[in-house]
Amino acid sequence: MDITLITRAIVLGASAIGAGIAMIAGIGPGIGQGIAVSRALEAIGRQPECKGDVTTTMLLGCAVAESTGIYSLVIALILIYANPLVNLIAG
Amino acid sequence: MNIQGPEIYYRLPGGIHITETIVNMWILMAVITAVCAYLGHGLKDKPDSRRQVIAEFIVSKLYNMVSEVMGKKNLNFAPYIGTLITLSAFGSLCALIGMRPITADLSVTLAWAIVTFVMVQTFRIKKRGIGKYLKSFFEPTPVIAPLNIISEIANPVSMAFRHFGNIASGVVITSLIYMALAGLSSMVIKIIPIPVLQLGIPAFLSIYFDLFTGVLQAYIFCMLTMVFVAGATE
Amino acid sequence: MENYLSFVTIDLWTLIFTWGNLLILFLLMKKLLFKPVTDILNKREQEVNDIYDNANTTKEEAANLKSEYTAKLADAKNTAEQIIEGAVKKAQQDEEKIIKDARFKAEQIIKRAEENIELEKKNAFNKLKNDISGMAVSLASKIVERDVDETEHHKMIDEFIDSIGEAS
Repeated sequence: MDITLITRAIVLGASAIGAGIAMIAGIGPGIGQGIAVSRALEAIGRQPECKGDVTTTMLLGCAVAESTGIYSLVIALILIYANPLVNLIAG
Repeated sequence: MNIQGPEIYYRLPGGIHITETIVNMWILMAVITAVCAYLGHGLKDKPDSRRQVIAEFIVSKLYNMVSEVMGKKNLNFAPYIGTLITLSAFGSLCALIGMRPITADLSVTLAWAIVTFVMVQTFRIKKRGIGKYLKSFFEPTPVIAPLNIISEIANPVSMAFRHFGNIASGVVITSLIYMALAGLSSMVIKIIPIPVLQLGIPAFLSIYFDLFTGVLQAYIFCMLTMVFVAGATE
Repeated sequence: MENYLSFVTIDLWTLIFTWGNLLILFLLMKKLLFKPVTDILNKREQEVNDIYDNANTTKEEAANLKSEYTAKLADAKNTAEQIIEGAVKKAQQDEEKIIKDARFKAEQIIKRAEENIELEKKNAFNKLKNDISGMAVSLASKIVERDVDETEHHKMIDEFIDSIGEAS
């Protein structure tokens, strides 16, 4: 049995698990966006005439708050599609 | 799994390679230029065509947005912001007609973010002078200088990753859905070799991932560019 | 040779082409869309401003004309009033003068009439006195006959009548 093949398999498996774990970071933006939307809805309920402004700002804020989730996604994508760790193994 | 990066179309001597992204960008540029030429030619003092009304509406909206965010004195940034938002939005929306979105290539978004970064640093140096600019990294204490530098560099990187990640996730999920639907249709309807289920269902996902996310990310990218540059010039 | 780039990768040539494309598109869009449209918008704004300026000048002119006319009208009114006032004054003066003259004349007439009356009265009185004294002399001569000196008697009677006239 080729030792490098086993090593590669282990690294790939660990990378897949790592990608899955990285996506746990999706919880944060989810909660954050939920809070943001609920506050925005409160604001709209209080001042319905500001609906347009509030919605625009909320979308902007949500998209920015999403970035942490996106970073984890990028890491997961790197681990799956462009795994730098596999290349470290000689052979 | 055949989720790949952009395909390399041509390899020129000297290590230059033309990828799918670049070719798509050229196509988009041709389309945008044609649309601009169509909208912008033969304007009259009194608008008598819908074409001119649309052109004036777009341009005045853009100038209003720029003057709102950056102030009246930075109004000459409007053409750049307009170019960026157009290319970015069209670059994401071209996924609707089956092209590979150009913003799903990290190199493209990073290039745009680097332009913003260079603009910000240039204006900061111009505004404060090189001495004060360098000194601003050592405030409040010299110990914190590496962190300041990292936080400066983190801005373009986060901008690039945000735009790329949003669009790329759309690409990944859309291709996963296509694959799943192909497998499902080949399992359910074995007689017909065409994946029937691929026909309509991805369109709904496309509305969110391509239309909504694409436009929103283009807007946010330009908004952040405007805010950063405006912050550097004041 | 690998015919695909990796999904997450930074490709130098893509970066360079992106910058070039961005610059080209920026210049094209600026030339084809932004510059003409902003030019036309600025031109229109300028025109609107011109129209407003024109309207303002015209309005000012109209206001000026109006004030001028009002002033002139007031002037004319004043003049008319002055004329009327002068005429009234003159008429009053004439009236007073005429009345004065009339009064003066009337007084003169009355005075003359009174003088005439006085003269007549005196004449009549003198005549009467002469008649009475003649009559008295003739009467007395008849009474006293010839030994009475005529001149002496006349003198006596005259004195008598004078004393009566003074008493009356």
